[in-house]
Amino acid sequence: MTVPFLKIDGIRKEYGPVVAVEDVNLTIERGELVTFLGPSGSGKSTTLYILAGFEKPTLGDIRLNGQTLLSTPSHQRNIGMVFQRYTLFPHLSVGDNIAFPLKVRRKSKADVTERVREMLKLVRLEGYEDRKPAMMSGGQQQRVALARALAYDPPILLMDEPLSALDKKLRDELQHEIRRIHHETDVTILYVTHDQEEALRLSDRIAVFSKGRIDQVGTGPELYADPATRFVAEFVGDSDFLSCRVTHSQGGRANVVLGGDFAVEGVPLHDERGTPGEGALLLRPERIDLSRSEPTGWRGLPVRVDDVTFLGSNVHVIAQTGWGETVSVRLPFGHEHISGLSRGDEAWLRFDPNEAHVFV
Amino acid sequence: MSSLTESRSVTGRQGGRRMPRLFGEVGPALPAFLLIVFFFVAPVVALLLRSVLEPVPGLQNYETLLGSATYIGVFANTFIVSTVVTAAALAIGFPVAWALVVMPMTWSRIVFAILILSMWTNLLARTYAWMVLLQRTGLINKMLMAVGLTDEPLTLVNNLTGVTIGMTYIMLPFVILPLYGVISNIDKAVLRAAALCGANRWQALTRVLLPLAAPGMAAGGLMVFVMSLGYFVTPALLGGTSNMMLAELIAQLVQSLTDWGLGSAAAFVLLLSTLVLYGLMLKFFGTSRLGGQ
Repeated sequence: MTVPFLKIDGIRKEYGPVVAVEDVNLTIERGELVTFLGPSGSGKSTTLYILAGFEKPTLGDIRLNGQTLLSTPSHQRNIGMVFQRYTLFPHLSVGDNIAFPLKVRRKSKADVTERVREMLKLVRLEGYEDRKPAMMSGGQQQRVALARALAYDPPILLMDEPLSALDKKLRDELQHEIRRIHHETDVTILYVTHDQEEALRLSDRIAVFSKGRIDQVGTGPELYADPATRFVAEFVGDSDFLSCRVTHSQGGRANVVLGGDFAVEGVPLHDERGTPGEGALLLRPERIDLSRSEPTGWRGLPVRVDDVTFLGSNVHVIAQTGWGETVSVRLPFGHEHISGLSRGDEAWLRFDPNEAHVFV
Repeated sequence: MSSLTESRSVTGRQGGRRMPRLFGEVGPALPAFLLIVFFFVAPVVALLLRSVLEPVPGLQNYETLLGSATYIGVFANTFIVSTVVTAAALAIGFPVAWALVVMPMTWSRIVFAILILSMWTNLLARTYAWMVLLQRTGLINKMLMAVGLTDEPLTLVNNLTGVTIGMTYIMLPFVILPLYGVISNIDKAVLRAAALCGANRWQALTRVLLPLAAPGMAAGGLMVFVMSLGYFVTPALLGGTSNMMLAELIAQLVQSLTDWGLGSAAAFVLLLSTLVLYGLMLKFFGTSRLGGQ
């Protein structure tokens, strides 16, 4: 059996009575870009800080190529990191900032000059060597921070919400740059974010953090199509939840009843414990079809339209079921049933039970 | 036509208002301004005049001062003691200021209270306390002998050693307070970044923390140095008769010898050297950094 590149093994972190990280396990392959996605307080940043060596875990181990990292202090871990805040050394020029990790490693002057030039080229800031950080924009500063973190060729690069202080346009641009740099350098990146779109855009795999644990690890499409928990379903992609009663379950499928009389059969179900019983049916707003006349040939869920919003390429419809639950539906612009649809209209919803999920 | 007259009348109105407005802004400050001229500028001018007019017009006071080995010795003492005091205060003050920034709030409050209380305690009382501590049979000599660092009690008072120790103690808060301000404004994430970049504690200190704290060191250091140059009470009480400092010399010249001319010249040399040092500081660290920004 081969030794995994990086193994986070049963990490737990307590601050007095507060448990910041409960039990985190994750194996990361060399060259992967894995994001830690979760709301604030879910333990993703604490896990990253433990990797950086700023915090010691209460329990658990972190192994790089089979060797524990915990006994190595931060400055000897040879790990790169880009922080949420701008952490360039304000008294040093851009060139000297990138040279800093090389100088403390006592590299020769020629090597340092050469490497700084390479790094500036990598982050596309040639010619900015002599600028002071204060004279650069936030986006440029984070590029320099990236160059500084990669200058010493670390096997792992940690990124702690590095783009959260930037506006949307810059963020998109830098996400693209991070993808490119990841491809060019083959460095393994662990990236913390609370922004699902950022996670989906960047990562090979996403680890969804909730309450100090990882709920699910997988590629974006996996998490979207097959969420392991209700939390993952809510956090990745848009979601509608309808309360339901599970009447029967077998082999990972369930039959449920919505609103007392609308039966849906063969819905994927992860955990059969607690069935039959109450549950929640997950629908994706963009996977729901809407018809304005009582459909023939299939049974539609009757709803009343509450609101219709035009959002460019698609149209957002908010509808209410007979028993008062709200469903949002996203239909492509130009859909046959949208024109003239307005508040108070009757409509029928249709969805494929295979694409829905039941959580109990 | 109408637009032309209109525009002219607008400029005319503005031009007419500018002068009284300027005066209106400066006017309220005038009494304070006069006060400063009368109490601060005039005495300095008077001092300068006395140094070149008494007892007879000419530069003979300055010739006496700069031509005599005794007086040169006093200047040397003053500068050496001030330099050592400044260096010692910075060397002790920096770690204390750092500790104040990183220690838990309750602890830092206690240390601050001690610092402020010591500053509020009467200067003479504190200096006499040092006299007791430093004397041959004092606590410090007893401790040094008890741990075997010395067999004979050291002469720690009535000389420049005593002056340096006493003044360093007096000056410490003046270094710690500005340094605390500067260090607490340094983003600690920058130090974490330095650590991950591979800098050990010493490299993080010398390459990141100290350069970032330099403005505070300069401001505190300059203040201590300038205050030390003209300090009187501590040198007078803890110093000896043989090694005088400048303030003591001026006091002696004016009070005992009533030689106002020579005393004024000595004071003026002190003022001038202070200004030169201040100028050098501004040149190296810039006005904005010393201005508290």
